[in-house]
Amino acid sequence: MKRKGLTILCLMLVVTWLSGCATPETSKKVPYRMSPQGMVIWEDEFEFSPPPPDWKLLRVEAGENDVTFGFMRPDPGGFPSVTTFAYDEDPFGCTAASFEGREREFFKRFLFNAILQFQILERKKVRVVGGEGLAVIVEGKDPVKKEKVRAKVVFGKRGDRIVGFYITQWRPMEGSYDPSAFEVFDKFVASFKFLKKSFYETL
Amino acid sequence: MEGHQRNLYLYDRFNARVVGVSRDDVTTLKYWGNSLGVTFPLLSNITAFVGAYFDIQPEGKPIFGRRTVVIDKKGIIRYVRDGSPDFKDILLFLKKLNQEGGKP
Repeated sequence: MKRKGLTILCLMLVVTWLSGCATPETSKKVPYRMSPQGMVIWEDEFEFSPPPPDWKLLRVEAGENDVTFGFMRPDPGGFPSVTTFAYDEDPFGCTAASFEGREREFFKRFLFNAILQFQILERKKVRVVGGEGLAVIVEGKDPVKKEKVRAKVVFGKRGDRIVGFYITQWRPMEGSYDPSAFEVFDKFVASFKFLKKSFYETL
Repeated sequence: MEGHQRNLYLYDRFNARVVGVSRDDVTTLKYWGNSLGVTFPLLSNITAFVGAYFDIQPEGKPIFGRRTVVIDKKGIIRYVRDGSPDFKDILLFLKKLNQEGGKP
């Protein structure tokens, strides 16, 4: 039997969950550069095709080590017309090791503050970042606020760990979705490459 | 907690085990741990002596401060950091500790 428990890592929990929240990004250095081929090289770690210029770069979250960044575009139409997509090394803090398990956890929390009624529109296996993945498209509606959102999440793997790409497009209930934004997202995902092994793969 | 859950396979690689300690009662921790999918032990210490021992018990408050502590196989505290866990720092430390101690 394998010897276990020779080093113990003790953790002291804080009941106030605020301490676990992301802190604002304070880095002064631009985390990316452009390759001669017009691809974005992000911290010499990722490569991807940039979205059109009307998409604004977002550093969604940089807390607790793992990378999350994305792009946002305000859309025509009334509030809350906006589209956001992102790459997330730690998709919504979930722990499941399988795509299906991660999907369940992800949607349990995804946009949970919005209290939306979700409907899964499509779920399919895909190839992403050179391996197997899972893509899920959902639509959520809030009949009280009269808002809706269409979202797509793509789970893939980097080493042993699950990473995610997701896009959300918010609209007023009577608004129409813009499929071109999803095409930009799909192009972003399809172009995405890991340029080196992750920290976890090098341990 | 979820960050540690994701890293369990790496802690295992470095012969480390993780436990969480909180002043919450057992029932609360049980439901909380289940909701997060945490499989490592969460210890309830409502009398707060662990917090006093590790100097993370704020006076007059019913909670512990957030602190990460690594204790080696001899019972010596080797690593202390306050605030949110720096998972990469913890992993690098555990790797080093495992290497310097040989195969513990």
